[in-house]
Amino acid sequence: MSAVEVASEPQGAEPEVLGAIVGETERFCRAELDAAAIDHDAAIPTSVLEGLASLGLFGLTLPEAFGGAALPLASACKVVSTIAGFDRSVAVSLGLHLGLGTRGLVRYGNSAQHERYLPSLCDGTRIAAFSTTEAGAGSDLSNLRTQGRLDGAELVVSGEKIFVTNGGFAGLFTLAVSTPGLGGAQRGQSVVLIEKGDPGFSVLREEKKLGLKGSSTTALLLEDVRLPLDRVLGEAGQGAKMLQHILSWGRTLMSAGCCGTAREAIRRATEHVSIRRQFGRPLASLEVVREKLAHMKAKHFAMESLVDEVAREPEDTLAVRSLAAKVFSSEAGWAVVDTALQLHGGSGFIEETGLAVMLRDLRVTRIFEGANDVLLAHLGAHELGKPAAAKVERPAATEAVEVELRQLEALVDGWRRELLATYKLGVFRAPRVLHQLGEAVMWREASAAATRRALRTASPEAIALARTILSEAHHEVARLTTLPLARDLVEAALGDFPPGETR
Amino acid sequence: MNPDTTDARVIPMISQLVPVKPEDIKPEHRLREDLGMDSVASMELLSMLAEELELDVGVEDVADVHTVGATIELAKKFLAQKAA
Repeated sequence: MSAVEVASEPQGAEPEVLGAIVGETERFCRAELDAAAIDHDAAIPTSVLEGLASLGLFGLTLPEAFGGAALPLASACKVVSTIAGFDRSVAVSLGLHLGLGTRGLVRYGNSAQHERYLPSLCDGTRIAAFSTTEAGAGSDLSNLRTQGRLDGAELVVSGEKIFVTNGGFAGLFTLAVSTPGLGGAQRGQSVVLIEKGDPGFSVLREEKKLGLKGSSTTALLLEDVRLPLDRVLGEAGQGAKMLQHILSWGRTLMSAGCCGTAREAIRRATEHVSIRRQFGRPLASLEVVREKLAHMKAKHFAMESLVDEVAREPEDTLAVRSLAAKVFSSEAGWAVVDTALQLHGGSGFIEETGLAVMLRDLRVTRIFEGANDVLLAHLGAHELGKPAAAKVERPAATEAVEVELRQLEALVDGWRRELLATYKLGVFRAPRVLHQLGEAVMWREASAAATRRALRTASPEAIALARTILSEAHHEVARLTTLPLARDLVEAALGDFPPGETR
Repeated sequence: MNPDTTDARVIPMISQLVPVKPEDIKPEHRLREDLGMDSVASMELLSMLAEELELDVGVEDVADVHTVGATIELAKKFLAQKAA
């Protein structure tokens, strides 16, 4: 989409319906969520989960026929973002249920599976969990060791999963398992449904974490769990494509949580610098403080623009653009909260201020749902592998913000062509280069989304925010396109650290 | 290099990237669905192929290569071009 095109209108929920749900959610969170207590107790009170259920939030994206509200991903993002401003453990638990936990069932489940599970998932009496991660396979789905083998009319599943969000209180688990030979796929994966209480299935230890302490994170053990074949989602052995779609939803909802957290951090920072006086004047009057606030606001504007745009993408483009949204939102969210804490001075480091828990909660978003370094390499590889687009003549850019976006797009595209001309196919064996290009693509996507939103609204403030993020993007892309640290300098700096296999 | 030895060189390369024995890799296998490669791994394979066989393959040449058989055919085509 070019910068001058107007994004499609929101799909699904009418603005007033969504507005009412978000308003109700906000009132509930303000009254019932105590992030400090949830962090301290490392648990979400049962009353909170019951409250979310009474608001119908567990069924937000689930079909109306089973009691859900059937809202689209973009609407669910607004709700998760709202909750994340108050408490990230609650936002992650609900977001997981709506995205990774139930998306596979809703999208690929058959009517019998829907009838069996969706009513209880909608009313919150059953909460959903999801897992691909194993000790030896984090972001690498091609090496799953949890395996399902066919035995008559049953699939016998064995293995262990780790870092399973909602594991401690979930009643339904959607798991990715390797099913060699099943459905004709030599190394195929399948997506299976496991019920709490299935013989041979155990939920293991609750992990102690740096942040998101109220959310449940457990390991799962599967010892010859015998599943009837109607526990397989979609087509057996064809899980890779399903997982890609499910993970896209998960990444996007997680990104929305980062947006809500950043928004609240900015609110607190703005309030603090307006009240706090240093050198005889409010902090807010200092140029360095004002510049920090402008960058925070611009980052948040770009995060929100990108996530909202990505959440409305069709399935095929959602898979790739959600990579950019996830990495940008988690990195920019982290930067925003860190700056908010810095602006609070020493009090930012004190738990009672409430920034420390936000920072701890947010840290994992750069790791889970696909580690950012891995996702950036995928984003870079996709950019290099995509077919050359037909040249489209665009009307001349008239607004400065649009000119700056086109300059950025040309910079990234020129670099892409240069990499292909220099390395040819060998570029795909250079993860460092893929990673750098992926980062540049991320900045381009965030800037483009912010620019389109600014042009739609045409408000001077929005235009200024888009230009601020574009300025940062130009700077970052220019840095990325310069040569990385020379290999011999890296090796000298590492001293006698054994190299292992370097790529 | 004759056509038979092209298979013999391509299949072990695939085996280096996925934990499947060379004898279990068949031409009809799809790189993604059957061998579990993601988009990066499949491009890495084609890159490795181009480098080891010293072929001048561009990204546009591999856009439709999705199976082991198509990978072997690509190698044969470029080897023939090189020999010509």
